Amino acid sequence: MEIETRTEDDCRVVTLRGSADINASAGLRETLLGAVERGETRIVCDLSETDFICSDALGVLITAYLKARGRGGCLYIARPHQRLNDIFETTRLDRLFRIYPDVAAALASLRE
Amino acid sequence: MPARTPQPDDLGDWTETVLPTNLSAIRKTEREVLARLHDLGYDEDHLFAVRLALEEALVNAMKHGNAFDPDRSVHVWYRASPERVEIRVADEGCGFDPATVPDPTSDENLERPCGRGIMLMRCYMDEVTFSPKGNEVSMIKHGQP
Repeated sequence: MEIETRTEDDCRVVTLRGSADINASAGLRETLLGAVERGETRIVCDLSETDFICSDALGVLITAYLKARGRGGCLYIARPHQRLNDIFETTRLDRLFRIYPDVAAALASLRE
Repeated sequence: MPARTPQPDDLGDWTETVLPTNLSAIRKTEREVLARLHDLGYDEDHLFAVRLALEEALVNAMKHGNAFDPDRSVHVWYRASPERVEIRVADEGCGFDPATVPDPTSDENLERPCGRGIMLMRCYMDEVTFSPKGNEVSMIKHGQP
């Protein structure tokens, strides 16, 4: 999996390209938790190009979300395709994460 | 102690693979199983479901069953027809009671970063059964009608 990061509107947008499987989890953890440790606590995770996600990667998202929240920030999810959205619903993680139809909507919400 | 070998019935012979307890070995087995199912005409939704359940089962076997002990192996058997695929995953650990795994969808567990693997297996496969000892899981996914 490739992870691309950029800054937009003072928020960190993290785009995951490919499969967020068990072997990608370590890199994902390093990227997200590293961002929070550096004070980049407003994060949008763009899943529009993510074709798979395992429970370990979900756990990384949760950990990063909690750490960002603990520092007064937040982590939003943007544009998961239907199969990933089904996983968020099945696990009820759609009650934990704010999930937006696209990155722009997530960033707009962060600006408010 | 080696896991017992499942016996063949109407689905034909089992294909057996033995994996080292190493997470990087998982993808190869996933690809093999998914390639077989693709050749049998399973659609993308079914392939996604089987991939997810198999990954969760293999990670559980290595992480929890074998405790990442490199001297232990994970045994995988699978067989498939256009009507269904059966997969068995066995670790060489002490076993566990799946009934003791907390419900990850309850409000008090929602923020826990772990504990969703078995739930996902049960949601994405049509049948999931653990051996009495708990160190072998059998999963069945029916093909499209």
